Formats: sequence, structure tokens, C-alpha cells
Amino acid sequence: MKLVTFVSDYKMTVDTLDRLKPEKLGIILVQNGVYHATTKENGKPSSMLNYSANYYVLQEDLETRGLSAANVIDSKVKVIKYGDIVDLMFNEYDKSAWL
Amino acid sequence: MATTKLGFVVQRPGYKSENPKLALTHAIASQSVEIYLKDGDIVTADIAFIGDGVLNCLKDQKAVENYDLNSTESHIKMSLLLDLNVLICREDLDRFGLTESDIVIDAPEFGADMEVKVVPYAEITKMMEDQDHLLFF
Repeated sequence: MKLVTFVSDYKMTVDTLDRLKPEKLGIILVQNGVYHATTKENGKPSSMLNYSANYYVLQEDLETRGLSAANVIDSKVKVIKYGDIVDLMFNEYDKSAWL
Repeated sequence: MATTKLGFVVQRPGYKSENPKLALTHAIASQSVEIYLKDGDIVTADIAFIGDGVLNCLKDQKAVENYDLNSTESHIKMSLLLDLNVLICREDLDRFGLTESDIVIDAPEFGADMEVKVVPYAEITKMMEDQDHLLFF
């Protein structure tokens, strides 16, 4: 299964992502999930970036929070817009989940 | 003559929920209750951003452009216009590698004289001890 997962929170209390084992995993960081792409705590990047996945972060949600593509700390995270999310869902993945 | 002191403590990032912005709107609204008070009575409001809540204070938020929504940044600036005491925890800013140049400090475009104060957590604790009512968001 090709699964794309929306991560919309910064602090998560469940390990759902650890339990998912799709053949292809996409993680789209949206809403407060964008902080995973931009924020280091005590110098360490978010453990959210440790999965074997294709990472995306929504530009509009970055900008709303006073952030931009320049703040993204890991080059494996691709900055995308709303329209790109639609393309990803229709063309790259079979299912989507919202965490 | 009595003073009622309100303390608003924001400990979560914004926009995912209305919660942090509600702290600011409540603090701002607290300054418009004069008609219900006796002569000489006043209500003060202090606002503190701690923990992940300091992320609300990043500047250049484009909420109007993207969400058609007033930004949390503009609410902080409005609080400064009303001379509210706005504190940001220095240790939590450090934890995120943020400096004063990354956050809202003043609001001259709003005509505000007050500035945000970046302070150690000990000072925020002192502020909280000084309040009559503490509200956490």
C-alpha cells in the first residue's frame, strides 16, 4: 500500500506512525506539524524526520506561522503548496491518513 | 479602590486550535470592563508565553494572506498597544534556538509604547504568584 500521512501536530502522544508499514510512505507536515520541519529543540531536529519516508511541508502553513522555506532544516523535506497535495494524493499514493 | 490581576499563560503553539489566540483576546477584552467596575477599581492583565507557546511569537506571520485570519502576531501587538505586560520565556526560546530577532518585540506601527519582555522563567513564576486569577491556554 502507498500511504500518505498528514501530520498536523507538533507534540504527538501516539506512536501510530511507528506502527504503519506501507511499501511507500509519504509524510505531509501541515498545520502545527510544520514545526517538525523547521524547529530544533536543544539543537536536535525532530524525531519525526527519522522515518523512511518522502517528506513534504505545506508552504502556506509555514508562512502563516512566520516561517518560510528558508527555515526548513532538512533538505529531504520538500516545500509544497495546496495544489501539490492534491497531485500527490491522486498520483502518488493509494490512501491517506490524518494524524 | 481594588485591583484585580489576571494572568494568561500560553503554553501551546497557535493556529491548530484557537486556544492561544483566545488567551490574547481575553486579555485584551479584560481591559474593556470598566463600565462594570466601581470607580477606581481596575483590572490588569499579564500575558506569558512558555513552553511550545513561545512559537506563537515568531514575527512575519502571514495568517491574513493564507487563512484570511488575523494573526497571533497582530494580537500580541494589540496587547502591547493596550500596555499589557507580555512576557516570553528566555529558556524556551533558547531551547528552540530562537533569538529576539526572530520574535515580535514591539509594535510601533500600532502606536504601541510597550515592548515584549524576554525574561527567565523565574520571572514568569514571580508574575504568576502575583496574580489573583491565572488562566492557562
